[in-house]
Amino acid sequence: MNKLLLCIALGLFLNTVGAQNRFFTKDAKINFNSSTSLEDIVAESNQATTFIDIDKNEVAFSVLTTSFKFRRALMEEHFNENYIESSKFPKAKFSGKIVTAIDWKSEKLVIVEVKGQLTIHGVTKDVSFKAQITPGKGKVIANAEIMVTPEDFAIAIPSVVRDKIAKEVTIKIDAVYTLYQP
Amino acid sequence: MTNNMRNKLLTSLFVIGMIVLYSIPVKSQDLDALLDKETKPQTTYATAIFKSTRIVNGHSVQQMKKKQLEFRVSHRFGELNTGSYNFWGLDQGTIHLGLGYGITDWLEVGIGRSTYEKTADAFAKVSILRQSTGEKNMPVHLSYLASTEIIGLNTNPAMQQNFTSRMSFIQQILIARKFNESLSLQLTPTFIHRNLVPSELDRNDLLACGIGGRYKLSKRISFNVEYYYVYRANASSLPVAYYNPLSIGIDIETGGHVFQIMITNAQAMREGGFIGKTAASWADAGIHLGFNISRVFTFNK
Repeated sequence: MNKLLLCIALGLFLNTVGAQNRFFTKDAKINFNSSTSLEDIVAESNQATTFIDIDKNEVAFSVLTTSFKFRRALMEEHFNENYIESSKFPKAKFSGKIVTAIDWKSEKLVIVEVKGQLTIHGVTKDVSFKAQITPGKGKVIANAEIMVTPEDFAIAIPSVVRDKIAKEVTIKIDAVYTLYQP
Repeated sequence: MTNNMRNKLLTSLFVIGMIVLYSIPVKSQDLDALLDKETKPQTTYATAIFKSTRIVNGHSVQQMKKKQLEFRVSHRFGELNTGSYNFWGLDQGTIHLGLGYGITDWLEVGIGRSTYEKTADAFAKVSILRQSTGEKNMPVHLSYLASTEIIGLNTNPAMQQNFTSRMSFIQQILIARKFNESLSLQLTPTFIHRNLVPSELDRNDLLACGIGGRYKLSKRISFNVEYYYVYRANASSLPVAYYNPLSIGIDIETGGHVFQIMITNAQAMREGGFIGKTAASWADAGIHLGFNISRVFTFNK
């Protein structure tokens, strides 16, 4: 009986060790660029929350669209009011899977393929993109670039300003994950 | 059943129970649920309560943010009831040119010049409370406006003798709320002190209260109404009949520009004039067609 209890205790201990499979950060950087020769349109948020589950190779992002800062206050206002409609759709989200096999103990930079669903402006789209991941001791560094078009997410751009906003918008992600302790 | 068997059975049940118990919290939390849990509560501030820094004639709670400059051209045609000789008012024009600059996100200062009584003006607008929801809750946006107007006309001997008699001082509290994406309303208690008034019967101090609002017809077009109730204790004994200004307008926003087109019984475009001296009435078709053009420049690196 005593041996059994010991086994259970050991099992539970291993279970908690096994639970150290999630990495997260609350201050990942996301910036996007939709500049044209007529107008520089760049915005950045450093308040994205993101998780990586290294057992399941899952990854998830969430960012409040009002946290994006623009150089020009008027652009920020128009972004929230007219394009992204932050009061109706306050969050942009991504949830997906790393489809390339990855050795989380390697501590070497690897380029992987990520597939999943991106939700912006209340519209969900399947996307896939390449990401650079560097696993480390107790942390994971990740960068990625995603190309999207405003039309894919039902963001209407009036013809008067169509030439000022890039047809394809580049979203860049920079995240340094640490071990998640609930 | 032997003791041994019962022991084994109980132990197995215990083990299974523990496994089930410990696996539940780990399994039930997927990443989406964790994301929601870890997204900190935020304060969301109401933005773009109005499209422009003026509802029609009077100030709105909207103001220039840090390092933003607004250049504003306002124009009012003459009165509609002046007939065909005056091409129903379109022969005449009153103009106001204004600049407003954001020193910080909460302080805007501005200057202006109007052909109406050759008036020069200067103002400061201070944002005190911001409407917000979330971590911090604030039902309204509250701002304070202080403005000075100096009449430049050289036809009044009293004004030519004494410079200070050209001056008026305006103070307003702007209380606004964005009720939803479309509807915003603003209440504007106003106090005006004029150093010199047109007649002995006029009071130097005027109390007024503005009520105004906007309703968005589309993302970039809104319908605006603005009315000022002006309290005059001795209105009937004044040599000139004054009326409360009522203005109805449309805002059209195109990127950095806002066009405002309106009809109003006020000819002047600054508080001392349109609140204090509106002498035309809607009832007599004493209305002016007019427009404001606002262009915002940003000096941020």
